[in-house]
Amino acid sequence: MNAVQLDNISKSFGNVQVIKNISLSIAKGEFVSLLGPSGCGKTTLLRMIAGLEGATSGTIHIGGKDSTRLPPELRDIAMVFQSYALLPHLTVLENVMFPLRMRKIGNRAEQRDRAVAALKLVQLDHLTDRRPRALSGGQQQRVAVARAVVSSPQVLLLDEPLSNLDARLRESMQEELILLHRQTGLTTVFVTHDQEEALSLSDRVILLNGGRIEQEGAPKALYSVPRTRFAASFMGSTNLIDAELQPHGDGARALLSDGQVLLLRAKHSAKKRATIMFRQEDAILAPEPDNAALSRGALIASVVTQIFLGARTRYVLDLGGHMIRCLAPAGQFYAVGDKVELKISPDSIHVLED
Amino acid sequence: MVESAPTSVRIAAVIYLVAIVAFVLGPLAVVVGVSFTAGDYITFPPQGLSLRWYEAVLSSSVYMGAAITSLKLAVVVTISATIIGASVATVIHRGRLPGTSVLSALFLAPLVLPTIIFALGLLIFWSAYFGRTSFAALWIGHTVIAVPYVIRTTLAVLSTSDRYLEEAARTMGAGPWKAILHVVVPQAMPGIAAGAFFAFNISFDEAIVSLFLRSPEVITLPIQIYTQLEYSPDPSIAAASALMIGLTVVLIFVIDRVLGIQRVAG
Repeated sequence: MNAVQLDNISKSFGNVQVIKNISLSIAKGEFVSLLGPSGCGKTTLLRMIAGLEGATSGTIHIGGKDSTRLPPELRDIAMVFQSYALLPHLTVLENVMFPLRMRKIGNRAEQRDRAVAALKLVQLDHLTDRRPRALSGGQQQRVAVARAVVSSPQVLLLDEPLSNLDARLRESMQEELILLHRQTGLTTVFVTHDQEEALSLSDRVILLNGGRIEQEGAPKALYSVPRTRFAASFMGSTNLIDAELQPHGDGARALLSDGQVLLLRAKHSAKKRATIMFRQEDAILAPEPDNAALSRGALIASVVTQIFLGARTRYVLDLGGHMIRCLAPAGQFYAVGDKVELKISPDSIHVLED
Repeated sequence: MVESAPTSVRIAAVIYLVAIVAFVLGPLAVVVGVSFTAGDYITFPPQGLSLRWYEAVLSSSVYMGAAITSLKLAVVVTISATIIGASVATVIHRGRLPGTSVLSALFLAPLVLPTIIFALGLLIFWSAYFGRTSFAALWIGHTVIAVPYVIRTTLAVLSTSDRYLEEAARTMGAGPWKAILHVVVPQAMPGIAAGAFFAFNISFDEAIVSLFLRSPEVITLPIQIYTQLEYSPDPSIAAASALMIGLTVVLIFVIDRVLGIQRVAG
């Protein structure tokens, strides 16, 4: 049984269809991220699981129970809002006890014990009597998390919970979320527009684009083998080049506009134009090639500019009229205008669907 | 940051302050002063010092009857205006129902409409359908005038609250009514309390509707003072007015203690 099961879910606001026929199963205990740019429908999808938005068509099962028409209070869920949504007139402890009170779980003493235990999980059990207003952003965030896990829901929904924190706090909260997920084993759906956050937290990333699932998979798979141009550019630090694909031996080759050739592993039986991609960390730079290198068909590019990043230097190169980005160890140095040889393993070059 | 205001602005500010003191507090001081007179006429400065006019008011069945009518009326108006105003504010705040903006304009209309037109309309309407005016007519009239204030103060507080709180409560197992009771009402409480305070005061010293709808059975304190002034003016008017001022001051003091006047006014 899946913790969450969406079947052919669609959602329209007036004439605008924001969710287009999405089906998705989330296994018990899985940590899934809904990733995408603003307006891709990720928050709407989360709110539909919560019951805060109704589905125009399709069904939603939570814990095996058809919840499509259930109001939020009758769904076995908990949600952490972007603004944390702590109740300002209640103390931290009362906030965390609130879901237990509303759902009538246990008596007053048991509710208290469970709330304190949940606050211990987020290391805030020493602040039980404070009001939310008296807490820092990070602390408020943790109270919101404690309040969400206290009722042990079938699914924990997180709506960009880290976006209001500063960079350092965000990193440590990411680690805490991973630990918390391991400790509680709660099925978690995490909405974010930050690809790094999605990659570092989840078991599975669902990339959404225009209300559809663009691509889904384990973080590593999604990062290294994006299928579409949108997926590749959204996952970041990548080079996209339009080229002509031709069959070549066991694999294929890509012909650039200036006549240079890149070897690919993938097979292509027919000539066609396509977008190929490789990551900036997958290209190795070598000093200006000699005649021997040129004769074996080395790839030549010229340095347009370099950006010192500390451990590494990023070079912007002109490869046959295409601007590409590559990372080189800090020890290597090339001046603007230098000709360099570019070595890219055929395994690192992927052909994208459009 | 501005170091200091120009001299002309400062002079204007001082004049403004003096004017406020002169025109707002001045009359109050005169009324309170007259109320302590030992003489038989309304004169200022008062002649001698005595509490005889307070005694006259407090022992007069006419004044005390009017005061009790006014207090009863103010209490029921406070209750009805607060319930209606707070509910309407909650609905307007959500803004999900179609026609919310029309609703909001409709409910705030008594703020801008001349009260005299409303009072006349209510009198004609009431006479046509219910005959003699009664306590209920005044109750309705005052409630209509007081509701916009409750709406305004409640909305002011709600508009600064986290709009996701109610949704959050729903995801935590609270049904729609429980969410309102446990989340929206506590949120709106300072605004509702301020609105209730305004409603009480508005009803307690309202004169126009009370004047139009008066009947021998329902004479409120302001109307009694007015009638007395018209037919047999004596310093009891001043004493009754001073008592009204006193009650308002006590009320403000209580509100300040319970809620903080800053929260209520701001």
